[in-house]
Amino acid sequence: MMEIIHNLAFGFGHALTLHNLMFCAIGCVVGTFVGLLPGLGPLATISLLLPLTFSIDTGGALIMLAGIYYGAQYGDSVSAITMKIPHASSIVACIDGYQMTLKGKTGLALFTAGVSSFIGGTVAIVVLAALAPALGEVALKFGPADYTALMLFGFVCVSFVTTGSLLDGLAMCMVGVLLGQIGTDVNSGVARYTLGLPFLMDGVGLVSVALGCFGIAEITKNLDNREERTPFSGKIKLMPTWPEFKRIIPSALRGSVVGSFLGILPGGGPVIAQFAAYAIDRKVSKYRHEIGTGAIEGVAGQAAADEAAARTSFIPLMSIGIPENAVMALMMGAFIIKGIQPGPNMIAAHPDLFWGLVASMWIGNCFLLILNVPMVRYLLSIFKIPYVVLFPAILFFCCVGTYSVNNSLEDVFVTAAFGLMGYVMLRLSLDPAPLMLGFILGPMLEENFRRSLLLSRGSFTVFVTRPISGTLIALIAIFVLWQMSVFVRDVRKARQVAPA
Amino acid sequence: MNDRNLLKGLFLAAVAVIFGLGAFRYDIGRVERAGPGFFPLMVSSLLLLLGLGMAVRSRFMKPQAMYFNVKNIAIILGSLAGFAAFSHYVNMISGIVFLVFASTLAGTSYSIRRNAIISAVLVAIAFVFQRGLGLQLPLY
Repeated sequence: MMEIIHNLAFGFGHALTLHNLMFCAIGCVVGTFVGLLPGLGPLATISLLLPLTFSIDTGGALIMLAGIYYGAQYGDSVSAITMKIPHASSIVACIDGYQMTLKGKTGLALFTAGVSSFIGGTVAIVVLAALAPALGEVALKFGPADYTALMLFGFVCVSFVTTGSLLDGLAMCMVGVLLGQIGTDVNSGVARYTLGLPFLMDGVGLVSVALGCFGIAEITKNLDNREERTPFSGKIKLMPTWPEFKRIIPSALRGSVVGSFLGILPGGGPVIAQFAAYAIDRKVSKYRHEIGTGAIEGVAGQAAADEAAARTSFIPLMSIGIPENAVMALMMGAFIIKGIQPGPNMIAAHPDLFWGLVASMWIGNCFLLILNVPMVRYLLSIFKIPYVVLFPAILFFCCVGTYSVNNSLEDVFVTAAFGLMGYVMLRLSLDPAPLMLGFILGPMLEENFRRSLLLSRGSFTVFVTRPISGTLIALIAIFVLWQMSVFVRDVRKARQVAPA
Repeated sequence: MNDRNLLKGLFLAAVAVIFGLGAFRYDIGRVERAGPGFFPLMVSSLLLLLGLGMAVRSRFMKPQAMYFNVKNIAIILGSLAGFAAFSHYVNMISGIVFLVFASTLAGTSYSIRRNAIISAVLVAIAFVFQRGLGLQLPLY
């Protein structure tokens, strides 16, 4: 316990410099603002804003990136409450949050979300500070076979959670892994799939893939829908009455615990945490009969879980070095661009960066509270901008973003190509999120896979005989067999209904 | 033929075939000493199986029509390509102006005056990025 306090104090020492405070604030504000925009979830927001951090020193850049991430996560739920714009990352906030808006209680809903997020974030940071170093020590015992199995397990979990269809998700992971093959092979130095183009030697840019699949493709999809939303213009009253305030606390605490826990698991993260917290509130809350019709609990629990999971999902990334979902994979890519390899060695080699980042998350929490509770009414004015003005601006930011990574215009073409691919995938109802995970983990997976087989002299049994990898592989096998049986049953059922 | 489930399987199989055939151009190696072609070949073989499996399954399912708006995606891609081309041959300011005027063709309404304002604001933002954040934008 003393050690945690000591470490956190050390972290605050780094995070509280004027420099880092500023980057934290900028990250939160810009992240929230961009997160509010329709059609831009955390993945697109982070990749869009990534170039802003290029000219900043490493510590400040990581702090700012984290701020962008949880800011975006929060901005998302604000747009869900006020406008019912559901992103993948805040579907639950639409349910009770939007119901409250319909009842004219937008202000109360936003206040609840703000305070609950603060509580959730605070709990999560304690969990993060306590757990990450311990897990990091365990991770040092992992061999290449264990890492391979862990990554495969992550693919399975993410595929299942984000798309609901394991096979679709796994297929997207594989497409991502294959795209990650483009570029120079580290082991042999052979240039693979570069089509003879020199700018592909280093591989396809992370920002290009992310902005193409999530930015350009989403914009085009929104344009297809052709619906102009009526801007939100209602007056909002923020402060709750005391009895209302009292209702927030128990639900937010429940949400924080659920969120902190689910944020750590592979495939976990904010989305699944929100659903779980909401489901629990519906079972145990004193006001459960009201949930679904615009109850405070329906907003508080999920908002707390959302922010808690957004922070604890850093644990696997920073302690083991394996991102557990697509957003964290993108964060990992961003860390690597800044020259930091997340993993068990990060805490030991860069304690200032690690603890500074953890402490900055709490400071970011305070910024978000200030930003969102008293100032939310000004933020909402962004909804008054019609989409026909907004989307050329977003396209411009996509262009500048991809260009600035390498100062190369070729990257803009690569982004456009991924935009086309992303659009095709969206129209085929394939979710690009697992692709992102596969793309970033692909090179790591290949390296660990090849190394395991090298060490075992070509015997695949190495993946089964080691205790850690063996357990994970067994879990994967059970999961895949179960999904296969569902697949076969679907086909049989369909056959009976309509003989081919 | 316009069945989303079938097309999904075929799309995945096509990606697998492209990468799988490409893998043969590199040394496959042996299992204990894998060459650069080993891993992509393995992954694309699995993906091919998955894709074909989905395509076969779709024949037993009710077809779902796939919606695809060629016009909008073509406008967006065209304006991105135009931005890059103008930035390369002229300068980035012209690229930004082209991007705004071309991409808004996909919007619900078109107004030259509004586009001029948007372009001006974006150029101003680009200057802020260049001077304030040190991004190397070849604006002029």
